[in-house]
Amino acid sequence: MSRRRKHQAVPLDRDASGRYLPLLVAIMVYLAALALAGAMVANKLASRWDSGLAGALTVQLPAAAPAAENATGNDPVLPAVVALLEQTQGVIAVDAMQTSEISALLEPWLGDAVLAGDLPLPRLIAVTVDAGQPPDLAALRRSVLAIAPGSLVDDHQRWLSHLLDLAWAVEIMAIVIVAMVVCAAAIMVAFVTRMGLAAHEQAIELLHLIGAQDSYVARQFQNHALSLGLRGGLIGLLCALPTLYLGRHLLQRINSGLLPEMSLLPHEWSLLILLPVASALVTMLTARFTVLRTLARMP
Amino acid sequence: MVRFEDVVLRYGKGPEILKHISLQFDPGSYHFLVGASGAGKSSLLRMMYLAQHPSDGRVALFGRDIAGLSRRETALLRRQIGVVFQDFRLLEHLTARENVALPLQISGEAGARSAKDVEELLSWVGLADHMDALPPTLSGGQQQRVAIARAVIGRPSLLLADEPTGNLDDRMAVRLLYLFEELNKIGTTVVIATHNESLVQRFRHPITRLSGGEIDSSGDSAAAPKREAP
Ligand SMILES: Nc1ncnc2c1ncn2[C@@H]1O[C@H](COP(=O)(O)OP(=O)(O)OP(=O)(O)O)[C@@H](O)[C@H]1O
Ligand SMILES: [Mg+2]
Repeated sequence: MSRRRKHQAVPLDRDASGRYLPLLVAIMVYLAALALAGAMVANKLASRWDSGLAGALTVQLPAAAPAAENATGNDPVLPAVVALLEQTQGVIAVDAMQTSEISALLEPWLGDAVLAGDLPLPRLIAVTVDAGQPPDLAALRRSVLAIAPGSLVDDHQRWLSHLLDLAWAVEIMAIVIVAMVVCAAAIMVAFVTRMGLAAHEQAIELLHLIGAQDSYVARQFQNHALSLGLRGGLIGLLCALPTLYLGRHLLQRINSGLLPEMSLLPHEWSLLILLPVASALVTMLTARFTVLRTLARMP
Repeated sequence: MVRFEDVVLRYGKGPEILKHISLQFDPGSYHFLVGASGAGKSSLLRMMYLAQHPSDGRVALFGRDIAGLSRRETALLRRQIGVVFQDFRLLEHLTARENVALPLQISGEAGARSAKDVEELLSWVGLADHMDALPPTLSGGQQQRVAIARAVIGRPSLLLADEPTGNLDDRMAVRLLYLFEELNKIGTTVVIATHNESLVQRFRHPITRLSGGEIDSSGDSAAAPKREAP
């Protein structure tokens, strides 16, 4: 009959810590899960932007002089630049945007003035280059400037590098958050373990007197901490899932083409699912380490 | 087995509880430790089960000086020592059965065979009906018997019993002293601290008498109890 009951030499399961520790671990795992998911999304965005923009150039020509346009009804500079680009090694496609397209892009900001056509508009050429063998940007820039002074050849690198910096910073922050959460959890478990050692001082002394080694006492604490950490971790992860789902939903609503598919890949999911395992390990190892260290200091 | 050389014991900065104790208990011997309340019997035993280091002098157990023992060695040495504490020290959340099995569990000998040993021993000390009782629900004498069972379950080489019969009626006390006698016959060194002079008289074993922090006299016969202020 008595075998049914779990044989615990140190009655840790009666301590109040058993009630609070899983809750605290749950909160920490929740935070860690959100931070990790954030990092993974930031990483995805970065790689998507990186590959999406690596093969693109934009050439911007200054607005055509009204005189030139009036005279011929068309601007000779634009076809010349397009021809130049098409002949350049490493260029795959050249797409000169129509004035109407540019107007449409700018209309929300400039209103009817654009449509009226009395505003000088720059002309844009989207160039797709072979990412493997990109053209010599400096040479290209010189050739374009020779035909159309005042033009800009932009490979988006500045803009891209700022975005990548941002994504990278988000990832670093997430890692720092996870590290801090782990530290906080360890400190908390160490504290709770010390309280447990003090509360059960007499039982532990008795165990020592009948021949228990420190590792035996440590095992009592670490097994207890393991189950509390695992329980807390699972609760935290379960709470994080609806939050992640909501976050994904909100991100997809503003989907502007810049945002990649937000759902996590299997290996990313498994990282999240490992969180309760990790929390159980952290609490267990901390408890063990704390007990061994505290006992070793005793006379 | 147990050897004290010029041992002095002080608690903190207090007075010397034990002064210059020298004694030797040979392997397989059986000793009574007597003395008035407060004479220092428990303190002497505490040094024998390594709960207390002497303030001065040398203590050797099993031929080893206890001063240089590591924590691990101390634990392993204690497994060969069975102790009946004066205040029992049972774990209140464990049943009688679990309390008795604890030393086996700690030394890694717990198993089906030992579970049977535990039951037999508990039956022998008259607790067949209380194996699954928690200590707080047991009488003082019953708790004492659980404590005795726990001390002997691991067949220790050295048995230290501090007032093991204090809460028992004479019949049960004699029965348990016979248990110690049996253990002694298979080689266990036994040291029993007690007030109970009449019990001491029944068994012919050497007596160590503590008085005023010193060993008063020793010999094979039990001297008449002295009345001394603690
Ligand atoms: N932990 C302690 N701290 C300070 N003094 C102590 C401590 N334990 C015992 N003493 C003192 O040491 C003396 C001897 O105590 P001890 O318990 O060894 O006596 P005893 O012979 O076992 O007495 P009893 O027969 O009543 O059990 C007493 O004067 C007691 O006050
Ligand atoms: Mg005593």
